[in-house]
Amino acid sequence: MSVITIFSGTFCNTEAVMKALVSDTGRKLMTDRDIVERAALLSGIAGSKIERVFSPRASVFNKFTHEKERSIAYLRLAMAKTLSEDNLVISGFSGQLIPREIHHVLHVCLIAELKFRVQRAIKALNVSESEAVKLIAGQEEARAAWIKALWGKADPWDAKLYDMVLPTDKKDVNALSATIVEHADSSVVRTSARSMKAVDDFMLAAQVEVELVHEGHQVGVSSKNGVVALTINKHVLMLNRLESDLKTIASKVPGVQKVETRVGPGFHQADIYRKQDFNMPSKILLVDDEREFVQTLSERLLMREMGSAIAYDGESALEVAREDEPDVMILDLKMPGIDGMEVLRRVKATQPQIEVIILTGHGSEADKETCMKLGAFAYLQKPVDVEELSATIKLANEKIQRSRASR
Amino acid sequence: MTRKNNILLAATHLLAVKGFKETSMAELAKVAGVAQGTIFYHYKNKEELFLAILRSFQEDIVAEFSRHRQTQQFDCGLQMVADVIDFYLHMASQMEERFMLLHRHDAHELARSNADFHACLEAIYDCLIDIFEQAILLGQKDGSIGDCSPRRMAMIIFTMVDGLVRFHTYNLYDVGGLYEDVVRACEAMLKKNIP
Repeated sequence: MSVITIFSGTFCNTEAVMKALVSDTGRKLMTDRDIVERAALLSGIAGSKIERVFSPRASVFNKFTHEKERSIAYLRLAMAKTLSEDNLVISGFSGQLIPREIHHVLHVCLIAELKFRVQRAIKALNVSESEAVKLIAGQEEARAAWIKALWGKADPWDAKLYDMVLPTDKKDVNALSATIVEHADSSVVRTSARSMKAVDDFMLAAQVEVELVHEGHQVGVSSKNGVVALTINKHVLMLNRLESDLKTIASKVPGVQKVETRVGPGFHQADIYRKQDFNMPSKILLVDDEREFVQTLSERLLMREMGSAIAYDGESALEVAREDEPDVMILDLKMPGIDGMEVLRRVKATQPQIEVIILTGHGSEADKETCMKLGAFAYLQKPVDVEELSATIKLANEKIQRSRASR
Repeated sequence: MTRKNNILLAATHLLAVKGFKETSMAELAKVAGVAQGTIFYHYKNKEELFLAILRSFQEDIVAEFSRHRQTQQFDCGLQMVADVIDFYLHMASQMEERFMLLHRHDAHELARSNADFHACLEAIYDCLIDIFEQAILLGQKDGSIGDCSPRRMAMIIFTMVDGLVRFHTYNLYDVGGLYEDVVRACEAMLKKNIP
């Protein structure tokens, strides 16, 4: 027997695939809600609080409360206990907590082209195209943050993270279900003594992590045959003290035979926290009436961990600028209605802190001069290399950080 | 007083007052009254000189504490805690410049990239905290101190007492007014609760 996990983008028709999968195989479906409920029972923390770990925004108080780490530790424990059952389909974020050493778990990723997803979102929610794009971008950000936190990968749809990545816009539901079932039934993915041992190790590591988190410690925990390895991933001067404290706590957990400690890369990184702040994805607004171009651009930026909103004309660009102040605006000059130059003029007059990057296919040298005089941050010509654009955005972001710091 | 000692004293003063980055070897030579070449004869560079100061600091702390223990008698561990708080504050005023040096950011920053600094600084903090830990362990043995983690409690008391030293160094407040309260607060934290 085996377990299947499904991690997917929103509006990828995942629900239908899961339904087919469950009815084809008689497997039991477990969702994030089920796992959260179990974690809530184990921990006594409210489910609504635990759920927050799936959102990329940590509470500003987390530094002191460690609520997020506590919740994740209990989610791992709940997941380890869940794996004592077999024949499951686990959908959502929590399936990603399972270590890849447990080989009777088949990790499936379902994803589709952005265009397909936007169309489905428009139909399902009866919203405008730009609203749908914005919604999906936000949901995508949450998935990217989760994968980044667990596996350190920037792209949540990286094929290396999964046993199979399936495009839901290119195959029909039954074919998808059949492909998954075929792989899940293969001998490679079957429960074995070795994989059950890996489940025991997962459980032991989760129990140790819960104990450590209770005492206020945050370290990486893994286990192999009862030997627990703790990874300290931030700089600590009194390392020996910390190591002996951690060992004392961990070795009290029943089943732990030996505890080893080591330092991870974060221990040596001098200014890891500051670095994170600098790389914070800024709020970017893309303004261009060429829909195809601007959607592709948005997708590419997302792959570089920069979430962006889209406006297709000058009026809506000004509206977004007023209501949801972006950090950076990437602006085309030639648009029907209020053109780019006018948008630039008005934005710089009322919200000079917004950095505007002009990206145009039609501009002349004179246009460039005018734009720079009006306060544009940079002037780029189409077609633009995404690397060049993201480097420019980064520079704009650094300027914003500097001016915020000096305020 | 040897030349080497002179250099160490002058360096301690400059590093404590001006900081690691702002202190130049030329200035140091002037204050110590030796030629720059003499300093380089004893110490390869500024880092090594700084390390030598920290190492002798640690040795002196250990020596001071063992001397103190030999002359003092305690009825119980809880009393020893009050005594070591007193001892710590006394030591901090005796070695004022070196404590000031310890309270600066410099050594901690160097410890992040330099293994020797890390080991040295860790050893200093270890022996400072050990002073409190020994008292707590003694108190748990004789029953005057209740059930707690001696390591953690030692660190908490250390932060309180060392905080007093910082208060004094930077003239934040008249520390004399806080001393009694800190001692009483520590006793209250540690005392065995008799039901």
